[in-house]
Amino acid sequence: MVVLSAARWVRSRLSDRFWRVQEVLKYARHFRGRKNRCYRLAVRSVRRAFVRSTKARREKKRFLRALWITRIEAASLEHGLKYPAFISNLVKSQVELNRKVLADLAIYEPKTFKSLAALAQRRRQEGFLAALGDGKEPEGIFSRIVHHH
Amino acid sequence: VAKTSLTSPPWPEVKLPDPVEEAKYHAEVVRKVNELISAGRYGRLFAVVHFASKQWKITSEDLIMMDNVLEAECGDRIRMEKVLLVGADDFTLVGRPLLGKELVRVEATVIEKTESWPKVNVRFWRRHNFQRKKIIANPQTVLRINTIEIYPCLS
Repeated sequence: MVVLSAARWVRSRLSDRFWRVQEVLKYARHFRGRKNRCYRLAVRSVRRAFVRSTKARREKKRFLRALWITRIEAASLEHGLKYPAFISNLVKSQVELNRKVLADLAIYEPKTFKSLAALAQRRRQEGFLAALGDGKEPEGIFSRIVHHH
Repeated sequence: VAKTSLTSPPWPEVKLPDPVEEAKYHAEVVRKVNELISAGRYGRLFAVVHFASKQWKITSEDLIMMDNVLEAECGDRIRMEKVLLVGADDFTLVGRPLLGKELVRVEATVIEKTESWPKVNVRFWRRHNFQRKKIIANPQTVLRINTIEIYPCLS
């Protein structure tokens, strides 16, 4: 006779429970207290740790950008410029360096950062003259736009 | 007439240097930098390169890891064209926004193409029986910057 399903008294029992438990505990080995040994506590801690790391990966970008901005602000204040003036004048002079690279230059290449600050200062002064003097075209040399073809 | 607080504007007076003298000074600086480059009197060069939608500050013998796939085999030499800044100890060349291709040459070699470590993405909403787990391993490429060269064609 053909039996399609197993009889009701045959139960299937787990044989790899140890490895399923170790899969979770291996992520909890460096935790503090009983959560690095006991499965029931470890499951909750490991789940919270994973959720926090996923959310932190998105916040890391915001955090790093704020850090770069602080560093650039400190470096430009050493050269007598405030951060908004520095960044806006660099952008107006068509220098497209991002904040990460500017922070690295401020740390490791102080002379280059000083020259960039001087460029921003000069562009700022030309902007003032253009706004006050009201000439027909920007007379400043550093305000000239470079056209690429 | 006596000077009051309103005779001159409250902002500091800004005077630009004389344009003719400035032009002479600029030409002098350009000539000196050209001489330095053609004489080869610079130490280690660093460059800021726009590559894989990110900006990198690189020198020679540098390792770079990108979080994506490059359509080049391991061991291929690559020339990076979008150079934003090149500098040495005594001078820097700032591009607006890019430097010319006949001015700088940045060469790199593809060393390794691997996957990143398996990152675990878990979304969990408590008391709502909602849990999703996803393991992501993005492809990564490692490049080594071989050389950065500059040619004395400033004007």
